[in-house]
Amino acid sequence: MSKPFASVVEIYKYRDMLRNMVHRDLRGRYKASFLGFAWTFLNPLLQLLVYTIVFSYVLRSGIERYYLFLFVALIPWIAISTSITDGSMAVVGQSSMVTKIYFPRRILPIITVTTCFVNMLLCMIVVLVVAQFAIGLDFLLLPYLVPAFIAEYILALGMTLIVSSVTVYVRDFQHIMGVLVMAWQFLSPVMYSIESVPPKMKVVFSLNPMTSILSIFRSVLYYKKTPDMKFLLYSLGLGVFFLVLGWAVFGRLEKRFAEEL
Amino acid sequence: MDGIDKNSEERKTTTGKPAVEKPATEKPAAGKPVSGKPAISVKNVVKEFRLYSDKASTFKEKVIFFWRNKYKGLAVLKGVSFDVAKGEAVGIIGKNGSGKSTTLKLLSRIMYPNSGTIEVNGRVSGLIELGAGFHPDMTGRENIYINASIFGLTKKEIDKRLQQIIDFSELGDFINSPVRTYSSGMYMRLGFSVAVNVEPDVLLVDEILAVGDTAFQAKCINRLKEIKSRGTTIVIVAHALGMIEQFCDRCIWIKDGLIERDGEPRDVIRAYTDCYMG
Repeated sequence: MSKPFASVVEIYKYRDMLRNMVHRDLRGRYKASFLGFAWTFLNPLLQLLVYTIVFSYVLRSGIERYYLFLFVALIPWIAISTSITDGSMAVVGQSSMVTKIYFPRRILPIITVTTCFVNMLLCMIVVLVVAQFAIGLDFLLLPYLVPAFIAEYILALGMTLIVSSVTVYVRDFQHIMGVLVMAWQFLSPVMYSIESVPPKMKVVFSLNPMTSILSIFRSVLYYKKTPDMKFLLYSLGLGVFFLVLGWAVFGRLEKRFAEEL
Repeated sequence: MDGIDKNSEERKTTTGKPAVEKPATEKPAAGKPVSGKPAISVKNVVKEFRLYSDKASTFKEKVIFFWRNKYKGLAVLKGVSFDVAKGEAVGIIGKNGSGKSTTLKLLSRIMYPNSGTIEVNGRVSGLIELGAGFHPDMTGRENIYINASIFGLTKKEIDKRLQQIIDFSELGDFINSPVRTYSSGMYMRLGFSVAVNVEPDVLLVDEILAVGDTAFQAKCINRLKEIKSRGTTIVIVAHALGMIEQFCDRCIWIKDGLIERDGEPRDVIRAYTDCYMG
């Protein structure tokens, strides 16, 4: 038991690397552009604009303010899906560093996931502003989002640890993950609510750890109702399971990273 | 060499006689240093690489040719043992493919041995990859923080060294420009400055990097000497024998995955050149 504990302590020692790399990835992304960091907010805002136009004039969905209905779940969904798809390249993409410098390797997927989730928090600001203007916010409900956010982060980290280390050995994993994540999106209540899912499919949705997380986001930001938190325990449990498994799998596979890259 | 570190003085006397240790499974050439643990302790290290005859690297190939996915073990290090005392500067020489770079990668924990143990005490830094993590659109100053934190430095430690790093890099006002505007020489100089200012306990150097102009190279060598005089343990892998003879207290010659000779640089290098150049 002392060994996994030591690896956690080591990651903590490298926390400044984590912070600097996340900062680099977020700032660096738009650094060369004229508007710079403003793009972090402009990007979701423009996306929202497109959704609004499409679902108000082109595709009528029958759900009131569908753009908001979609957006409050889409932003958290993008955080986990980008974590996993980008995460498949987290180690492979840094091969020059991995083959030449020592640092705790697990920090690479942690950087990717943290970057995605910090980005999500920034996009959430846009969501909150838009929701406030569109339907008004119930600020007392916002604290419910914190455990949902944490559970999602843990789940994303666990899965990304597995994906990033396995991809070093089986490069196709990054392409497989792209398709799997897309399929997963359609089995999650991102574009529609669980109520509209046929009863036969309900089992699949209830097994999906993202169902409860996305439902909480939607409940708080769109329906303005107190969310049902008891299903979050399942998501959190599964997240912790993936994290422990991913931590171990990564630790086993990282030994030969430098040789496989 | 000026006897600043007691250990290195101690070690010099014990390694003075060129110790030939062919069966490397024997005890390391030198006895334990009198005070404290050795900085590096390598015992019976064996490292094999997997040599796939036809490596299936994609999932498709792995599934279709799962029976073919066999590899031959290629032993690069066949049982290497040595200790390095604190403050000692050791040069590792050998032909291409003899296992000297692998030794360095094992010491820096980039690779792990198949058997045997490696113990390194203290913070390790390597002059192997310069400018890791540099973002082209960020300034030299910002990149110092990124690069140094990859070496495991905290923000406080970097703050303390920042001026030193900037001064050493001789970049002047360019430090506030994005590194994409740098010439390749400036880029390497900044990377080198960070790496040598990490102030590690053990510094691993893979070849003396041809960084910058002659003046800057001389500065780099002087800097390495200065680092050494402060009691930092240094392990250098190089083909430049003159440099090793001039700089190191001890030289290890690795031949076909075993230590052929371990001792005074002058003696080891003479034996080495005799062997290959007749």
